[in-house]
Amino acid sequence: MRRDAFSGCHPAVNFLFFVGAIGFGATIQHPAYCAAGCIAAAVYYLLLKGRKGFKMLGGMAVLFLLMSALNPLLNRSGKHVLFTWFGNPYTLEALYYGMALGSILVVMLLWFGCYSEVLTSDKFTALFGRVIPALSLVLVMVLRMIPAFTRKARQILLARRAIGKGASQTGKLTEKAKDGASVLSALTDWALEGSIITADSMRSRGYGTGRRTNFQIFRMTARDYFLLALILALEIAVILLGGTGASFTPRLKIDPIGWGLAVYCLLLWIPTLLQIKEVIAWRISISKI
Amino acid sequence: MAHFHIQDLTFSYPGAADAALKDVTLSIQPGEYLLVCGKSGSGKTTLLRHLKTVLTPHGQRTGSITLDGTPLEQLPPRDQAARIGFVMQNPDDQIVTDKVWHELAFGLENLGCDQSTMRLRVAEMASFFGIQDWFHREVAELSGGQKQLLNLASIMAMQPEVLILDEPTSQLDPIAAADFLNTLKKINRELGTTIVITEHRTEDVFPAADRVVIMENGRVTALGQPREVAEQLYREKSQMFPALPAPVRVFYEAAQEGACPLTVREGRSWLSRCFPQAPAIPALPPEPPFPAGKVAALELKEGWFRYEKNGPDVLRGVTLTVPQGSFFAVVGGNGTGKSTMLKAICGICKLYRGHVRLFGKDLGSYRGKLYEGCLSMLPQDPKCLFVKQTLQADLEEMGASPEKIREAAQLCQVETLLSAHPADLSGGETQRAALAKVLLSEPRLLLLDEPTKGLDSFFKQSFAEILKNLCRRGTTVVMVSHDVEFCAEYTDLVGMFFDGQMLTTDTPRRFFGSNSFYTTAANRMSRHLFENAVTAADVVTLLRQNREGSL
Repeated sequence: MRRDAFSGCHPAVNFLFFVGAIGFGATIQHPAYCAAGCIAAAVYYLLLKGRKGFKMLGGMAVLFLLMSALNPLLNRSGKHVLFTWFGNPYTLEALYYGMALGSILVVMLLWFGCYSEVLTSDKFTALFGRVIPALSLVLVMVLRMIPAFTRKARQILLARRAIGKGASQTGKLTEKAKDGASVLSALTDWALEGSIITADSMRSRGYGTGRRTNFQIFRMTARDYFLLALILALEIAVILLGGTGASFTPRLKIDPIGWGLAVYCLLLWIPTLLQIKEVIAWRISISKI
Repeated sequence: MAHFHIQDLTFSYPGAADAALKDVTLSIQPGEYLLVCGKSGSGKTTLLRHLKTVLTPHGQRTGSITLDGTPLEQLPPRDQAARIGFVMQNPDDQIVTDKVWHELAFGLENLGCDQSTMRLRVAEMASFFGIQDWFHREVAELSGGQKQLLNLASIMAMQPEVLILDEPTSQLDPIAAADFLNTLKKINRELGTTIVITEHRTEDVFPAADRVVIMENGRVTALGQPREVAEQLYREKSQMFPALPAPVRVFYEAAQEGACPLTVREGRSWLSRCFPQAPAIPALPPEPPFPAGKVAALELKEGWFRYEKNGPDVLRGVTLTVPQGSFFAVVGGNGTGKSTMLKAICGICKLYRGHVRLFGKDLGSYRGKLYEGCLSMLPQDPKCLFVKQTLQADLEEMGASPEKIREAAQLCQVETLLSAHPADLSGGETQRAALAKVLLSEPRLLLLDEPTKGLDSFFKQSFAEILKNLCRRGTTVVMVSHDVEFCAEYTDLVGMFFDGQMLTTDTPRRFFGSNSFYTTAANRMSRHLFENAVTAADVVTLLRQNREGSL
């Protein structure tokens, strides 16, 4: 993974940011806000993923176009009819509405993409370990189980291939299905056996003997407190300033653009700005050596 | 005062006719390094599990166990968790969390430590075990050796007084195992932690232990310092004697006087004392070369393979010829591509250059018939082969007739286990049952991937006999192994694998006789006097011959 300044912040900062970015992104239909969200999310996504991110953005563009074009087929209200198909009107309002919905979906997917890069499982559990200790431990264990399960499945299938019992080697469909079922049951047996040992290992290390604490590998620094306050203030400001209302059908009704949009942009650009600041600081410090 | 004191402990599992532990009385001193030896099923694990209440199995029990004078069951669970550490066999399943740092802190979290204490203890342990470099890694990315070291470190973070280890290195390769055992020695010497360990890699542990306990059928049959125990085992002609380190076996079987050597170094100087002058007979007659036959069972020519298009080559021009009817061993370090070579031979990995010939025919020309009587592979983890509820059903899955099944079961010595669930078999039994299943397709070429991993010396012996038996019937066996001693003892040909290529191939005596590091303990201890003694029996023979010659 690439180094990213925002990922280096405390998980609470990360989480608060994404609550705002995804929350607003999913609820605000105002075209200006949607566009701002798309741009900010795309830029930060590229920053995190590098060149590989373009592929995803291409997919997002296709998704946006599809959503936009398809919405008028389902939603027939609106005053400006562009053309009719099979006697049904294809309206401009519905097209706009589709674009808004498409961009909302794109914004959310992009932010979630960033979220999974930034707020890794260990950060998530560090964050919620104190609030819901049992649940966060279960989550950690499940996260470990899933890849282990697939690895074991692959191992079993390979082993069976090498004795002529692979999936492609047995003949009929019914046989294949039976074969798959017995492999699955073997996997379950294996998982149960493993979990007995894990349980022993947990109890042996004092799990369930009393109050449990949570090891915090992340520490809040002054910068984290500052960012936390800033993000919180900006999010409240977006809500209070308003001007985010928009309705499309049957008639376009969109709030005028106000200060809220500027505040919203500032909020969304925090991760990218942090990274830019860090790159500049790094350049300067290198030039001094 | 004794640390642990076990008094007249008798225990039987529910429904079992025979007791698993019988009148065990044992005192363990603070700071002691105690090795518990015994065959599989002798009650070692049961005894060890009694030393920690949460792990103690259910069943009928009499007798008492005290820790520093307090009966164990009266000691609160939290105290036990902190004071008694327990490391189990399987490196994977013991790990609870997904990150290395979290695993290190797991025990401390359970004990309710505060942040600053945890921070310090975790840092201390990471430094002591050299974990700093992979502190932030995912557990899944670690090697088996690293995982087991992590298990040890996460228990040491709780600062236990006693460390109990149940065959901790059985799933590791020899280098990782030696590394692990060295760390244990360091913990014992530098921190004074009491260590109780069961282990069948006695070569490393036996000389390091302060005392050794031998268990047979749930009873303690010998207890004392390593030399005393070795002497007693030899005198009683115990079944445990062949499990002792090579220098000890050579010393007693050559019936010598004086102090018994425990390590290779001691063995060397003892042999030097036996021969003030160079021995008259310095070498055994070399084995005759293995008859090549007309058509090789397996011919691999200039094989190249990589897993990903832009990845590194794993096989780099590997060339190998295995004569029919031979027991062929491929030795070499971890991650050099040995297992990949096996996969290339059975067609799972397709070579992008070079070719594989089986019994004179190209691998590709077999098409679907490859696994019907031509070859079969026993995977590294034999458990992967079992998918049914009983061993019988699993064997039937191979589509062989009942007579064939009976025959294979008999050959692999698993007739009595047919009705058992495959998961209930012990390590050695699983290995033999898997072999039976693999043999049902009647392969002419049998591929084995690390078959002796985790087996004790008795199972190894019976396993080797089965394989030799197969070879006599004309089956060709190709085995990838780390187990140098096993290869030297039983195989016909040994080849060295390194960096994606096969280097030399020779008969065991010639092969190991010319190596100086990658060779058996018996050879390392005798190579300054004898040219090609590779097993303990070889050294004993040469000693006897020379002694008779000088009379």
